[in-house]
Parts: sequence; C-alpha cells; structure tokens
Amino acid sequence: MTCPYLEYRRQDDTHEFDHKRPYCAAAESFCSPMKADVCNDRHEFDHTTDCELYSAQEAELPPELSPEPSE
Amino acid sequence: MTYESYLDDRNVILTVAPTGGVHGKDANPNLPEQPEEIAEQVAECEKLGAAICHLHARDEHGENDASRLQEVNDAVRERCDDIIIQNTTGGQSVYESRVQGIRTDPHPEMASLDMGPFNRGQHIITEHTRHNIDRLAAEMQEKGIKPELECFNNGHVNEALRLIERGGLEEPYYFNIIFGHGTFTPPSPENVLNLVSNLPENSEFNLLAVGEHQLPLTTLSVILGGHVRVGMEDNLYYRRGEPVASNAQLVERTARIVELLDCDLATPAEARDRLGIR
Repeated sequence: MTCPYLEYRRQDDTHEFDHKRPYCAAAESFCSPMKADVCNDRHEFDHTTDCELYSAQEAELPPELSPEPSE
Repeated sequence: MTYESYLDDRNVILTVAPTGGVHGKDANPNLPEQPEEIAEQVAECEKLGAAICHLHARDEHGENDASRLQEVNDAVRERCDDIIIQNTTGGQSVYESRVQGIRTDPHPEMASLDMGPFNRGQHIITEHTRHNIDRLAAEMQEKGIKPELECFNNGHVNEALRLIERGGLEEPYYFNIIFGHGTFTPPSPENVLNLVSNLPENSEFNLLAVGEHQLPLTTLSVILGGHVRVGMEDNLYYRRGEPVASNAQLVERTARIVELLDCDLATPAEARDRLGIR
C-alpha cells in the first residue's frame, strides 16, 4: 500500500514538469527519489513506520479524517 | 596515493556522476534523469575529459529504477566514444535491486560497491549487510568488473580491508572516499588526510564530496595524488546561490583546475590501465 499523502503531479506553485512526479501532500512539496521509495513502500520500506512526515501528519489528524492504516 | 604521487605522476582520473538517486528535477531542472538526457550530458563530459561515468537509472517519474540501467548503458554507449561505464549497486535498495547494476548486457567495466549502510531520515538504515557486500563482490570478481569501494566513513575502510583479507578484491584497490553530512565522514582537509593515510598499499583513491565541499576537497585530492568525482549527483550548485547548468559545467571547471595544477586527465584507456580493468 502506498502512502495516502502521495500524489503524482506535473506542477505546484513553483515547478512545472513534462511528466508527473511524486508529490507529498503532507509536506506540500515534491518528493526526492529516495523519499518516493518510502512513499511507495518499496525495498521493504513501510511509510507508516519509516516516514517522519506521515507520522507527524497522522498525529495531527482526528481519527475520522485519518487515512486507512496499511497492512 | 601521496603528495609525492602527485609530483611524480600527475595523471588524474575524472569520474562524472551525472544524476544519482538522491535529487530530482524539482531540486534542479538541469539534472538529467531519462536515458537520453543522461547520455547526452555524459557525452559532453567525455569530450571535456571524463574517463568514467557513474550511472543510476530513473523511471518516467524520476524515481529510482535499476531495471532501466540497461537503457541508460545502451544510450551512453550509443553517444560516447570510449568512456568507462560504472553502474551503481548502491543507494537504499535491497540486494535484488542492487545486483541489477552488474547484470546489464554487456556488463559494465566497473560498478560501485558500498562498503556498508548509512542512515537516512529519522527511521531508515539502508539495507546493506556484509553478506550482500560479499555476494556483490564475488559476482564482480567472477565477471571481471572493477569495484569502486565506496567508503562513506572511516569504518567502511575496515570493511574493505575485510574483503581484501578474504581475497575478494584485485589490486589495485580502488577506493572512493566520501565526505559530507550524516553518516558520511565530516568534510574537512584534516579528515581527508587522515582517511588517505589509512588506505592500504596498492590502492588508488577517488574523492567524492557533497555540495559546497565538492570543489575544495576534490582539488585537495588531486594534490594528494588521488582522483576526482564531480557531477550533479553530489552537487547541484556551481557556486553559492547559482544552480549548476549541466554536468559539463562541473567537469569543465575540474578539468581546468587539473590543468592549472600541471596534471593531465587520464583517458579512458589510461584509466583502464591504471585500475587494472581487463
């Protein structure tokens, strides 16, 4: 399961690209390639435990707005 | 491998690392990510004197994708004359992904070999055990692929010595000593001197330093009889506040410095001879 805050976008307020790129809705910025590995749970990473941005975002959300937990 | 080596030899191997797997175009839009972009920039760098290219591969979103190293290798071979291809087996991926760097067809003449893990973020230690290092080294030895021993800190030199004692490496041992933030060796001239003094006999070394440390510490490497790696994998700025326009811009500056220091840049053929690449 990928991170619920991961999106693929061509642009934000300051960038515009030819192809969609990984974007973190929690950080409101494009993700680095290494961060995107975590967002996508590649290489045995788990965004729920390995991403500090996810943890911080979850801590601030009330339960009814929290994304479904991953397996 | 000493100041005396610099005075006596003066033949410097320049490696360009054009893209890496750390940054994306959001950090610098001039960073090449796709095979043709990478190959185009590597070809420019070869003309300026780069003898080796250190390659990573990305998918269409700019994310790391080792399965596309074949495409990158093919594109570089198509556009370049003789540059040595050095594929990555590093980063933060698992063994199955790392090993793809030495399973392209034909296999690369060189490959990087991280000598251990490093920390990332708050929760990640890259998965890179001695067992995996040994497996990668054995396959490289069997195929005649020259490993570039990536030492992110002094302890990784011990790990390289362990491999040497096991008979897992051929002379000359080619170290890449790395300076930067986090788990890397803190970047300072004193630490460069110290680390170089700990390298074994029959070694050659290359120096990689990230960000603003790339220019001064690679220059120091030349004076110490070492070799240099520059490129946008390690540094996205030409000078403070000025993003790099291309990898060629960094290579051209280093080529100029090497010439000012009265050294020559090794051709790919000279680099093969020096590093014992068959």
